[in-house]
Amino acid sequence: MAEVEATLPARRRSLARRAADEFLRRREASILLVAIGLAAYFQVAKPVFLSRGNLVTLSQYVAPVAIIAAGEVLLLVSGEIDLSVGSVYTLAPFLMHYAIDYYHSPAIPAILLVLLVGALIGLINGLVTVALRVPSFVTTLGTLFAINGITLLTSHAYPAEIPASAAGIGRWLGRADWSELTWAVLIVALFHTVLTSTRWGLHTIAVGGNLVGASEAGVRVGRVKVANFMITSTLGALVGMLEAFRVNTIDPSAGGTEIMFAAVAASVIGGTALAGGSGTIIGAFIGALVLGTLRDGFNLIGISAEAFDLILGIAILGAMISNVHLARLRRAGRT
Amino acid sequence: MTQIDPRVEEAVDTLPLSAITRRRLLSGAGLASAGLAASALLAACTSKKSTAAAAGVGAFAKTPKWRFVFVNHVTTNPFFVPTQYGAADASTLLGTTHQWTGSQNSIVPEMVNATNAAISAKADGIAISVIDTKAFKTPVDQALNAGIPVVSYNADGAVGNPGSSRLAYIGQDLFTSGVKLGERIVSLVSGGDVVGFIATPGTLNIQPRIDGAKKAIVSSGKPITFAEVASGALLPQENTTIDAYVTGHPNLKGIFAVDAGSTQTVGQIIAKHGLKSKGVAGGGFDLVPATLQAIKAGNLDFTIDQQPYLQGFLPVLYLFLYKLSGGLVSPPETNTGLLFVTKDNVDPYLTTKTRFEGSSTAQQVITRSGAIVHA
Repeated sequence: MAEVEATLPARRRSLARRAADEFLRRREASILLVAIGLAAYFQVAKPVFLSRGNLVTLSQYVAPVAIIAAGEVLLLVSGEIDLSVGSVYTLAPFLMHYAIDYYHSPAIPAILLVLLVGALIGLINGLVTVALRVPSFVTTLGTLFAINGITLLTSHAYPAEIPASAAGIGRWLGRADWSELTWAVLIVALFHTVLTSTRWGLHTIAVGGNLVGASEAGVRVGRVKVANFMITSTLGALVGMLEAFRVNTIDPSAGGTEIMFAAVAASVIGGTALAGGSGTIIGAFIGALVLGTLRDGFNLIGISAEAFDLILGIAILGAMISNVHLARLRRAGRT
Repeated sequence: MTQIDPRVEEAVDTLPLSAITRRRLLSGAGLASAGLAASALLAACTSKKSTAAAAGVGAFAKTPKWRFVFVNHVTTNPFFVPTQYGAADASTLLGTTHQWTGSQNSIVPEMVNATNAAISAKADGIAISVIDTKAFKTPVDQALNAGIPVVSYNADGAVGNPGSSRLAYIGQDLFTSGVKLGERIVSLVSGGDVVGFIATPGTLNIQPRIDGAKKAIVSSGKPITFAEVASGALLPQENTTIDAYVTGHPNLKGIFAVDAGSTQTVGQIIAKHGLKSKGVAGGGFDLVPATLQAIKAGNLDFTIDQQPYLQGFLPVLYLFLYKLSGGLVSPPETNTGLLFVTKDNVDPYLTTKTRFEGSSTAQQVITRSGAIVHA
């Protein structure tokens, strides 16, 4: 009896420690702690941070970056990068507008067509990179400008309106409060499963981790890379349409390099290696959450534009440094 | 007892009295009337003193430190430096604070996010440059629904479509300024090829100007062929675009622009190719230093001042008064002006460095002398 009483608290303690260990062993844990810390700080500084209205705003900062980051993680893990995804984002809603208003396509086929064109651009990025052996940084730098040029030429750099026939479906595609976040969660869940639990994910990691080894083991490395380019561009096209529906206008200055850098930053903050072979999509989602929390929180507490970039830069560095060192502690704990 | 000092009546109103006692008191009937009246007056005096002690700025009653948010489309553009100074000066004057946010590159979704964040943060007022006719409708409605007053500044949708239900617009009447530009072009050029550069076509703080210019040129009936050319949002890009266009079109009779960057570049390109000696007319908008130098040197004929300082100062003032008066003092539509700066009146802009033009951070009194230029 006395013995049992003595061991019970000890066992409970070891259980708590095991749970903490289990949590810290996950790669996403450290960045999640940073995100929670930031959210707590902003909630204390401005108690409306966790109000419904602001959570909607926050979700709209996070979701577009998180969706594109899901694609970028796949590419980064397989050892490539896509700089052109922001240009696809800008072009996509214009394509939808052309298809519906000039070619009288119904809304849903037009949207599917745009996603298809997104995949096609990814195919071009992939084929130029894999078959013509141009580094993806350069390939997609080229397509970044080329696609942006197509947008500017065809739109005469002039904003367009959301086609009336597509307005109804817009509720599902970004217009309703939580619809962007819903898309983001679904896409992140899907691709996280793909990356962690399928043969495709294993091949993606293998290609980025050890290209020669993977190809000698029979992995079709070219096909893996090309398909990941296609996924990323398609996601870029989807986000472009979501954002156009959300703000109810098609604008030639939306998207571009800013959203692309935000997505790459979210991936890296979330623990994906730029050199390939390792990465996590949930981590990228939390990375996007950190970036969105910073942007939204700074607006809430009223930091003006000029100080904004400086503080954002310092905050990204701070988040990254603490992330790297928490990861080191994690590794130390494991051995 | 018809002659009752209004202050006495006011003072009596502060006492918790029934209507009958009040009437009796005012008519002087009843024993207690004198004492009551005295105590009421005394109370009125002390309460007056106490409001004086707790007073806000100037003669105003004390107010909370209201926070007004400016959502801008090019937050780091030098054009808006005096606008920010104007907002800062008004904030200091009125004991309020302001935040300057939005997008650096006219990215509308970012501006919408910033507006939504301001609504969540329960800002006390919002000023938006409405550069899109659709995107700001819902955010502005939500702000107004939440009881947050919203004004637009600098840009206000398209001609005949403000693009939001904002209470008022504070800025240049953009289409009219374009018409005036067109009339000036017509007076300077008798006929032939004329080009108008626009940084980003469709952006609603500049597009109405070029539309107005085109209208004025067409309605003048002069044989002027007007071409509208996009020059790009970044200065280096504008330089190469305008240089290339001018090189490729040697027959140009006039080169004009509707935004600060393009106007400055037009001046530089006219100087570079020595076009002034060939009688090519040039002009545009806004007061960046290079533009003023070009006017002084005679390479540009004119530029149009739209008082960016007031576009920051007045929104803060209007939002403050709206809050202070419980909405009774509603913001008026304000045209911040249309002043042609030419070689005749450019000197003071060049010789003084001021906060009002954004060329200095110093607070100072600028004394002027001589007659005021007039028609």
